[in-house]
Amino acid sequence: MFSAAAESFLRQAREAQPEELQRFAARVAAQLQGPEPGPEAAACLQRLHLVVAASKYPRRLDGEIVGLLQKVLCSSKCPEQIQLLCAAILREMSPCIDLSLSCDNIQDTKLLSLVSSVLLAQGDKKAEVAAVGQRIVKVLEGRLPEGQSSRYLLPVLSNVISLSPEALTEEQTNVVSKKMADWLRYASIQQGVAQPSGGFFSNPRTRQPGPVTEVDGAIATDFFTVLSLGQYYTEDQWLNMQAFSMLRKWLLCYGGKGLNAPNSGNRSEMDESVMSMVSTTSTSSHLLPPKERLREKAFEYCQRLIEQSNRQALKKADGDLQKACLIEAVTIMDIICKQDSSYVYRAAAFLKVLHSRISGDATYARALLPIAQFFLNHGEMAAVDSDAIYKHLLTDIPAQLFHNASLAFEFVLFCKENSQLFTETSSIFRQSFPNLFKFLAWNSPPLISEFVDLLPFLLDAGTAIEIFHLLLDLPCLTAALDVQMRSTSASERASCDPAVKPATCLEAFRHPLYKSAFQYLLRIESAPEDPPERLIPLRQLLGSLASSPRVVQCADTVPVLLELFFSVVAEFADGPLINQLVVLLLQRSDQLYEIPAFKDDVHRVLSSQLVMLCKLHPALIVELSKELLEFSGTVSNIQNKEAVFTHVVWAIGEYMSVSYDKRCTVEQINRFFETLEAVLFEVTQVRPLASIPSYAPRAITVLMTALTKLAARSQDLIPRVSLFLSKMRTFLQSPAVTSVYCEEDREEILTRATELLNLLKMPSVAQFVFTPSVDVARSRFQKEVNDTLPSALRIVTRLLEPAPGFVPG
Amino acid sequence: MVRAFLLLALGGPGPGPAPCRVLLARAFAPPGTPPGTPPGSPPRQRLRRKEQLLAVARQVASHCHLHQASSGRPPAPPLPEDPPSLHNAPGGLFRLAPGDPFPQGTSVAWLAAPSLAFALVCDPPENLALAEGTLRHLAPRLLAALRPPGTGVLLRPDAADLLLDRLLPHGQLLFLSERFLQAVDRELSR
Repeated sequence: MFSAAAESFLRQAREAQPEELQRFAARVAAQLQGPEPGPEAAACLQRLHLVVAASKYPRRLDGEIVGLLQKVLCSSKCPEQIQLLCAAILREMSPCIDLSLSCDNIQDTKLLSLVSSVLLAQGDKKAEVAAVGQRIVKVLEGRLPEGQSSRYLLPVLSNVISLSPEALTEEQTNVVSKKMADWLRYASIQQGVAQPSGGFFSNPRTRQPGPVTEVDGAIATDFFTVLSLGQYYTEDQWLNMQAFSMLRKWLLCYGGKGLNAPNSGNRSEMDESVMSMVSTTSTSSHLLPPKERLREKAFEYCQRLIEQSNRQALKKADGDLQKACLIEAVTIMDIICKQDSSYVYRAAAFLKVLHSRISGDATYARALLPIAQFFLNHGEMAAVDSDAIYKHLLTDIPAQLFHNASLAFEFVLFCKENSQLFTETSSIFRQSFPNLFKFLAWNSPPLISEFVDLLPFLLDAGTAIEIFHLLLDLPCLTAALDVQMRSTSASERASCDPAVKPATCLEAFRHPLYKSAFQYLLRIESAPEDPPERLIPLRQLLGSLASSPRVVQCADTVPVLLELFFSVVAEFADGPLINQLVVLLLQRSDQLYEIPAFKDDVHRVLSSQLVMLCKLHPALIVELSKELLEFSGTVSNIQNKEAVFTHVVWAIGEYMSVSYDKRCTVEQINRFFETLEAVLFEVTQVRPLASIPSYAPRAITVLMTALTKLAARSQDLIPRVSLFLSKMRTFLQSPAVTSVYCEEDREEILTRATELLNLLKMPSVAQFVFTPSVDVARSRFQKEVNDTLPSALRIVTRLLEPAPGFVPG
Repeated sequence: MVRAFLLLALGGPGPGPAPCRVLLARAFAPPGTPPGTPPGSPPRQRLRRKEQLLAVARQVASHCHLHQASSGRPPAPPLPEDPPSLHNAPGGLFRLAPGDPFPQGTSVAWLAAPSLAFALVCDPPENLALAEGTLRHLAPRLLAALRPPGTGVLLRPDAADLLLDRLLPHGQLLFLSERFLQAVDRELSR
């Protein structure tokens, strides 16, 4: 829709020169000063607006034209369109330095609203907000002239109190509270009349308007609310609608003890005053102070709205409004109860009934969140057992409605608001975390940043392992949810013959071979004892969905979450947990969902986190020597998981030492040496008359370095390494190798081999370099690249020891 | 409160040739600064406001593209003449972290039309269900009022303001039933 014409307009507007602009502004001024500014003046103002708005850098307009715009804005003779354009230009230029606009003398409420919009955009340097607030309240207090309506004023007031709650005095807030209580409770329940169109032939007989109706067409049974329908609306009915629209903000700001900002809804001050007796009856409500009286009327309004939401709306827009009203009503009740705890019993009973009414209706699911929040805030006081409410919320809703993006968003925000509940180990909140991840799996882009905030609360020693698996399988979960959705909407149940292997994912969903795996993946509660190996065949089956856009979007979120996972776990993990994680890390590195970019990213994260875990708990090299030997001895790992392999080998070279663990014996060092030597041998073999596979040069250099390090600690091995290293030149110069590895890589490998050889000629130096005392290793000389070499030796052998994160060359 | 309303042209997905453009922006609150820093000179405040809105627009465009990509369907071609029916138009919610770009965290409700998007930037206590509903009422009326497509949006801020003053006055979300909306439409057509 944004055509080339529009693009060029925008560019012209941006490129207009200041002199051009001044000339044009003068022309506009001339038009405006004429007797009756007409369509031509409007067109000029529109263009002027575009020029001012199109650039983010200031457009200087003459003080004269700015003054003229203000004058025209306030003149009652001008057509509305001209006034709107003047206001738009002034707002666009805000904050203006030379604004002399004031709302003090304006009687027309519509104009007052328009002028206020300009004043409120000035940034409150000259207390414009307070001035506007004062004026609005003054007009509301007084009697309005004929034909004027208050309804243009309430939104201005709402804006004022959002910007600056202190703008109104307590007396003024009492005045407005009193009026709001009346507007909310005592609006007419008769429909309005059409404005008479006048004219000679119009029918002077005015038809009696009927009563307003409910959303399902029935005659209204009680006082007027936003869910009351009429053909035409009276002034007080408009005010009713607007008063309710700003009610939450007003109560947050002025409903509690003392002044609050509209955003601080979490203050739970108990009002222990005498008012607790008075609120239970409404007959004496006219004796209540304004604040308390408004509270009472607001509560009644919310109760009525909740009852009205039980009706079947005839129009879809009204149905949507019912749901929004329900959410608002429950939230306002929550606020009222925070401000006056005597309302809690009434509210709790009422909301429990509401909950049982809507808990089975998926279209009302969003309203379950404020209800749950109410019981979290007040359930204890009301002595209500609300566990069933939380259970339903956390187990049923995510499982059934994960695909509802708005619900997902609000649900996760709810979890963040109540994050401390997730830290309690045995609570239903904590137990349901697999369900929560369904939201993320399906709606990744909007929810990833929220989960980054939420994840630390879900992690502790008891859940770490399960969450680790869950994160790695998150894209699988997306695929499984997709299958589940298609399965529930499939019209016929696919016949599943247990003997026949399923051909599609949809068939597999009910097939006995895969059913329990699906159920495990789609579980609603934490199940730490179940072995995740049963997902292996399912992962393969779901491979057909690996390229679906939603799955790919989910896969993109996993590396971020993994890094976060490890950084949180590092804070509390002990030795056994770290060992467990490393073993799983090695296992899972080839049990990943088959999305190539995903696997690479996950390997990259896992390998750098492996290094972090080794730093935290260096003894794991010794404690997990069996697993590490197996992993590092498998040559195919260099191809499949180069990053992980390289880092494992590096870690072995770095931490396999007595200085990190007294249990490190010479036998162990020798065992590792032999394993790594065999791998390096395999990798650097030149078979005559056969092409050699190419291995990552980084893997070769890391192997050489690790072997050298081990030899430095068990010096019998030095001759073997030296021999090996000296053969590298021959290897690198053979024709089979030159065709597979590029020159830079070969040079790098050769340089490294030579450096290592030189170092081994000075065994004691090598030993010191490669096995510093632990204090030196942790000293401030150690840079992030793990350069353990004291600077003096660097001069001697130019031995730089980059961390395996660097690609050579 | 609702801090801002935006109408933007989506441009192309990713860092491609066509960036998103803000066609219409209405801010209901001054830009705000991190606590402790002075507001700055008026041109700087204005610049900050424009940049904040542009930052929001970029995020909205990015979420629109991602949402459209995840649905797996090809993008709907822009309908040239009639305002498209937006009943089933895609929409969503996302959060902007504190400081990025507003000092406190905000939630954004967006609604996508072919090659365009509408967005409301809401402070935390706003009713997001109502915000989404308001967008669905506002969008088709705006598209109808701002003809011809393209230049109409740029050159008719008065038509847009007329609508915004009724459906989102001073950034106040209104609980409008179908009948109230009809009443508003009647007033506007007079």
